[in-house]
Amino acid sequence: MDLREIKAIIDLMKKNSILEFELEQQDFKIRMRRGANGGPATGHNEDGGGAMPAITNQGAPNSASSGATNPPAALPATGEAEIKSPMIGTFYRAPSPESANYIEVGAEVNPDTIVCIIEAMKVMNEIKAEVRGVITQALVDNAKPVEFGQPMFKIRPL
Amino acid sequence: MFEKVLVANRGEIAVRIIRACKEMNIRTVAVYSELDVNSMHVQMADEAICIGKGPSSESYLRIDRLISAAEITDVDAIHPGYGFLSENAHFADVCESCNIRFIGPSSRAMNALENKATSRDLAKRANVPCPPGSDGIVETQEDALATAKRIGYPVMIKAIAGGGGRGMRAAHNDISLLKGYQTARIEAEKAFGNAGVYIEKYIEDPHHIEFQILGDSKGNLIHLGERDCSIQRRNQKLVEETPSPLIEGRFKDLRKKMGKAALRIAEMAHYTNAGTVEFIVDSQGNFYFLEVNKRIQVEHPVTEEVTGVDLVRQQILIAMGEPLRISQSDLVFKGHAIECRINAEDPFDDFRPCPGRIDMYYAPGGRGVRIESHAYTGYVIPPAYDSMIGKLITYGKDRREAMDKMNRALSEYLISPIKTTIPFEQAILQDPNFRRGVYSTNFVEQLLGGARRELIEDKA
Repeated sequence: MDLREIKAIIDLMKKNSILEFELEQQDFKIRMRRGANGGPATGHNEDGGGAMPAITNQGAPNSASSGATNPPAALPATGEAEIKSPMIGTFYRAPSPESANYIEVGAEVNPDTIVCIIEAMKVMNEIKAEVRGVITQALVDNAKPVEFGQPMFKIRPL
Repeated sequence: MFEKVLVANRGEIAVRIIRACKEMNIRTVAVYSELDVNSMHVQMADEAICIGKGPSSESYLRIDRLISAAEITDVDAIHPGYGFLSENAHFADVCESCNIRFIGPSSRAMNALENKATSRDLAKRANVPCPPGSDGIVETQEDALATAKRIGYPVMIKAIAGGGGRGMRAAHNDISLLKGYQTARIEAEKAFGNAGVYIEKYIEDPHHIEFQILGDSKGNLIHLGERDCSIQRRNQKLVEETPSPLIEGRFKDLRKKMGKAALRIAEMAHYTNAGTVEFIVDSQGNFYFLEVNKRIQVEHPVTEEVTGVDLVRQQILIAMGEPLRISQSDLVFKGHAIECRINAEDPFDDFRPCPGRIDMYYAPGGRGVRIESHAYTGYVIPPAYDSMIGKLITYGKDRREAMDKMNRALSEYLISPIKTTIPFEQAILQDPNFRRGVYSTNFVEQLLGGARRELIEDKA
C-alpha cells in the first residue's frame, strides 16, 4: 500500500464519518482511528504512543474491517469536568497488558463504569467514573504514577 | 547510602529534614495535603506528591498513601519527623516490610516504651526513680483514692496514651480526685482512644529537664546533654535552653547522674536512633523519670548548637546502618543556646490561633542567630494544623550572651499582619527571674496571672 492509497482511505473515512479502519493483508496490517473532532486521536493505543496510524508488517490473511460509528459531535472545551485520582499509585488503562482499555476517548460512561486501575502496594484498585458523561481526553499515560487529586480524564457530563 | 528519602511530615521540620538530606546529596520527596500545596517543604524537595485533603487524618496520617507515595517515587527511606506517625510502631513495621527504611527507633524499642505505664515499669527495672504513683493503670475509683492516700496530695491524673502535654489533671483532695478521675478517663477515651489513666505525685515547682540520646544499630548509645524546657504554657513548651540554669547554677553533678540514668533506660529498651528521655526535677535536686520521646524533637536545635552535632544527619546515618562515630568522651558542651517557638497565636487574646496570609516576613539574622521556619512573605498559614510557624534559636558563649542575642533577634523579627507569640517571649526573656535562671514549670502561669496586660504591652 502506498501513501496515495492511505490518503485515499483517510479521505473516505472523513467523508463517510468512519471512526476506525483496520486492514490486514498478506504481509501488511494497518489500523487508523480518527479523533472525536476529526483530528488525530489523542487517546492512547496499545503501542504506547498517542497518534495514529499504527502500521505493522505481519503475515496475515486478507481481511478488512472498518468500525463505522457516528462520531460524536465536536465536543466543546467548556462544560468539561475532570475525573481525578482518589489515591496514589500507578495508573493503568486496562485490566491487564493483553486486554483492551477499559474506556477510550469518546466513550459514554455511567457513574459505575470502571475507567482505569490504580495499583498501590500490589493491589489493583478499579476506579469508577462517579459521573455520567462522555470521555473527552485521557490525561495520563499508561503505567505512569498518579498522585492524590491528579486529573486522569476529562469528561463532558451528561 | 540512601539515594532518596521521603519526608512524611510538613512545616518547619520537613524543611529541616530536606536540608539535612540535601547536604548529604540525598534526593528528597515531599508529601503534602491539598492545603499545603504552596508550603515551603513542597517547593524545596526534588519531588512532591499530593497525598490527600487537608485534614491530617486524610493525608499525613494515612499510612497507605505514604507507602504508595514512597513506592511510586522509589525511595530508600522515610523520615517521619515529629508528631504524626513518628512514634507509630505499626507504621515503622509497614515501612520495613515494604523494604523502606524507617528513620527512627526500631519497632522493638517503640514497643518497649509503648506507653507511659510500660515506660515507668522499664525505668524502675533500670533503677531510675519515678514519681511516686500508681503501679500502672488505675482501674477503679477506690484504687484512685487509695493511691492518692499512699503517695499524698497533691497528685496528677495522667492518660497513659497521652502526649504533648495533653490528658493531665491535678487533684488536691479526695473530692477533686474523684471528679478529675472520671473526667480524665472520658477525655482520654475521646482524645487518644484509650481511657486508661494513672496517678502520680504532683511535684511542686519542678523543672522539666530532658536528655537527648543517640543510639546506633550496634548498641552504641550516647547522651548529648540536657535541655531545660520548663517554660511551658498549658504543658506546651515555649522556650527551651541548654545547659539548664538549675543544673549549672545549683546541681552540677546532676548532669552526669541523669545522663547515666537516661542511658540505662535507653539500653534496657534496646533504643536506636534519636530519642529524648524526659525527667522532672524538684527544687532539692531530686529527679524522676517522666517518659521517653521516641523521635526527633522540636527543640533539638539547642543541643546541636552547644554540641556541634547535626542530630538529623545522625538520624539518617544511623538508619543507613552507620555506627556512631561520636563517643561519650568525644562530646564537648560549649556555650549556651536558647530557643523560642514562634506560634501564630495572639498572646493578647488568650493565645487564640491566627491562621491567614503573611504579608510581610522578615527573619532576624546576624551572628549566633538561627531560624528554623517554613514561613515566607505571601505564605498562607492553614488553620488545619498546629500553630507553630517557626523557631528562633540563639547561641552565645554564655547564657548572658545568648539572652542578649535573643532579645535583639526577637525585636528584629517581622511577621505581619499575623499575630504571634513574639511579644510574649520578649516579656519572658526580659523577666528578672528568667534572667537569673530561676524558674519552674509554673513560670508562665505566674507571669500571666499577675498584672498581665501591663507587663506584656510594656515590653512589646
